[in-house]
Amino acid sequence: MVNAVKGKSLQKALEISKKICMLGSFGVGKSSLVRRFVYDLFDERYLTTIGVQISHRSLLKRMSASSRNPVNLKLILWDLAHIDTMNDVIKTYFRGSHGAVVVYDITRPESFDRTAEFLLPFREINPSSPVIFAVNKCDLLSPNHANYGLFLEKTKLFNGGSCLFTSARTGERVEEAFHQLATLILEADGR
Amino acid sequence: MTELYEKILSEKKIAYAVFSSQYFVEEHSRYFVKLMERPVTRGVTVLWDLFPELVGSEDQVEGVLQGKQRRFTLEKISKFTEQVKLRYYNLILLPFKKAGVNQILCIMNDTTFETSLEQRIQQQQHEIKLLESTLTSAIPPLSSGLVGDSPKIEIVRKFITKIADIKSTMILLEGETGTGKNLVARMIHNQSALAKSPFIEVNCASIPATLIESEIFGYERGAFTNATSSKHGLLEEADGGTFFLDEISELPVALQSKFLSFLENKTFRRLGSTLERTVSVRIIAATNHNLLQAVERGEFRQDLFFRLNVVSLRLPSLRELGTDIISIADHFIHIYAFDFKKKTLRLSEAAQQKLLSYHWPGNVRELRNVIERAVIFADGEEIEPDHIVLVEEPKIEALSPERPLLPDAATSLYEMEKEIIQRALKQAKGNQTRAARALGLTLDTLRYRIKKYRIHL
Ligand SMILES: Nc1nc2c(ncn2[C@@H]2O[C@H](COP(=O)(O)OP(=O)(O)O)[C@@H](O)[C@H]2O)c(=O)[nH]1
Ligand SMILES: [Mg+2]
Repeated sequence: MVNAVKGKSLQKALEISKKICMLGSFGVGKSSLVRRFVYDLFDERYLTTIGVQISHRSLLKRMSASSRNPVNLKLILWDLAHIDTMNDVIKTYFRGSHGAVVVYDITRPESFDRTAEFLLPFREINPSSPVIFAVNKCDLLSPNHANYGLFLEKTKLFNGGSCLFTSARTGERVEEAFHQLATLILEADGR
Repeated sequence: MTELYEKILSEKKIAYAVFSSQYFVEEHSRYFVKLMERPVTRGVTVLWDLFPELVGSEDQVEGVLQGKQRRFTLEKISKFTEQVKLRYYNLILLPFKKAGVNQILCIMNDTTFETSLEQRIQQQQHEIKLLESTLTSAIPPLSSGLVGDSPKIEIVRKFITKIADIKSTMILLEGETGTGKNLVARMIHNQSALAKSPFIEVNCASIPATLIESEIFGYERGAFTNATSSKHGLLEEADGGTFFLDEISELPVALQSKFLSFLENKTFRRLGSTLERTVSVRIIAATNHNLLQAVERGEFRQDLFFRLNVVSLRLPSLRELGTDIISIADHFIHIYAFDFKKKTLRLSEAAQQKLLSYHWPGNVRELRNVIERAVIFADGEEIEPDHIVLVEEPKIEALSPERPLLPDAATSLYEMEKEIIQRALKQAKGNQTRAARALGLTLDTLRYRIKKYRIHL
C-alpha cells in the first residue's frame, strides 16, 4: 500500500512502507537481527524485549523484476516480545503485517517446537503475507553440524519462503534475509 | 486553561496531538514534541511519519477518523530515544470532531517507568530460561560415539554393536582410569533394546563400604539404627534396564558373595527383609585394576571373577591410540568451543606435537580437561602449546601476569579452574561481568561455569 495514496499526504509517491513482524521463541536473536539490520550493531548482552519494539530502515528496491523504477521501501520492523500464549494483544500486533521473519536459534533445536502456535494465527490474520525463516547464531556451529539439516527439514513443514542461516553477531546473511523478504513482499503487493 | 491542562497531563506523562482529516498535525501539547524528539509542525508533519507503527493499520485509523471505530490502541510500544534509551508508551487514537469536521485525537502515554520495572523482572526470568535452554542443548554428545579410527577403537566399536542386544550376558570392561569405560557402558545400553529403560550406575569406590549394601540392595524399616523407613536399592531402580558397577574391585569382600548369589539366582533381599525380590537387569561391571591379581591376593572372590568374566573387553589407553589423540582432542575442542562461544579454533602443529608426545596417565578424561582449559585460554584461532597445560609439567607459564595466579600443578584441573574463577570473582568484588572480562569469557560462559562448579556467590 502506498502511503501517499492511502494517507492522502504529500509524501513522495515512490515511498512505500511495509510492516514486518519478527517472530520466534525467547533469546533466538530477533532483537539482535533487527539491531544488526538497522544499526549495524551487535550486543552480547541479552535484553528481554517487552511488548513490541519499533524501528525502521529504508531499502532502495525495484517494484518488480521487470520494472525499472526504484522505490524507497521503508520497512517498519516489529520486534515482538517472546510469545508465551497467543492473546488478543498479540493479534493486534500481527494485524496488517506485510511479512514476517520467523527466527530460530541453531544451537537450540527446541526453539522450533512452538512455531505453529504463533505462525498459524499470523497466517490466519495475514493470509497473503510472505514469511521467511532465519536460523540464527550460525557463528556458533560449524557448517557440517547436524542442526543445519534439521532446521532445513523442519522449516519445510511450514512451506514459507526460504530458510536462511544467519548470524546477527557476524552479520552473515542478515542483509540477504531482509532483502529476500522485501522482494517477496513487493511481489505479493504486485499481485 | 491549556497551561493548566498541559501541566497536569505532562505530570501524568500524557501527551496529545490532534490530526486533521488529511492526517496533518493540527495542534499538540508541548510534551508531545518532547516525547517525539523531533520538530512537529502544524499542517506539515504527518501522522504516518510520527508513528510508523501505524503502517498496516490504515483501515482502522481511517475508521477512527470517520467515527466508525471508537478507538484504536497499541500498547507497550517501545522505541529508542536520541540517547539510545528505550522509551515505552501506549498509543490511543480516538475520533474527535471540531466544528463538524472529523479529526483524530492521538493520546500518548509514556509508561517507561512502569514498563522498565516489568522489563527487569522478565529479564531475570528469561536469562535463566535462556541459560537452561542453552545448557540442555549443549550437553556434549557423549553418547554420540567413540571418536577415532585406529584399529583399537574399531575393535571397541564392533564389540559394542555385537554385544548390545545380548542382554543375558554379563560384561566386564577393563581399562586404565579415564579410558571411557563409563562411556562404553552407556553406549552398550543406548544401542540395546533397553535404551529407554533406566541406566543405573554405582561407583563402588565412592560409596563407603558400610553403606554400599543398603545402596545396592535397599533396606526395610528398622534394618539398622537410622532406617526409619524402607527404601528400595539401586538394583530395584535399574529393573528392566542396565546396572553398571564401576570399580567393582572395590566391592567389599563380604558383599561379593551376596552379589554373586544375586547374579546366579536373579533374586536378592533388602537389608532387614526376608522377602525375596526379583529384578531383571543387565549387568555391566568395570575395573581399572587387574582383577585376576586381586583374586590372587585374595581380595576378590574367584567365583565372582569367573562369573563376571564371561565377556570382557579391555579398553585401550590413550597413548595406544596414536594420532587418534588428535581426532579426540578435536572432538572436545568442538564441544568446548561451542560452550565458550568460540567458533573457529584448531590445534596448531606444535600443539598437536605436544599432545602426541605426552603419555596421558589420566587418558581421555585428562585429555578432555586439558582441552577444556586450552579452549578457555586460547585467544586466537589456534590453540598453541602454551595453552596446553599438562599435569606433569614442572611449571605453568601460559598465563599472563594480570591473570590470577594458579595454584600448584598438583591439584586437579577441575579444582584449578574452579579456583581461578573464584579468584576472578573475588577480584571483581562479585561483579560477574568484570570477572568474565578478566577471564576472557562471555558472561553466559562464566555463569555456566559458576553453575557447573557450584560456586557460591
Ligand atoms: N553468538 C551469537 N549470539 C547471538 C546471535 N544473535 C543473538 N545472540 C545472542 O543471543 C541472546 C538473545 O538475543 P536477542 O536478540 O535478545 O533474542 P530475542 O529474545 O529473540 O530478541 C543475546 O545474548 C544475543 O547477544 C548470533 O547471531 N550469534
Ligand atoms: Mg527480543
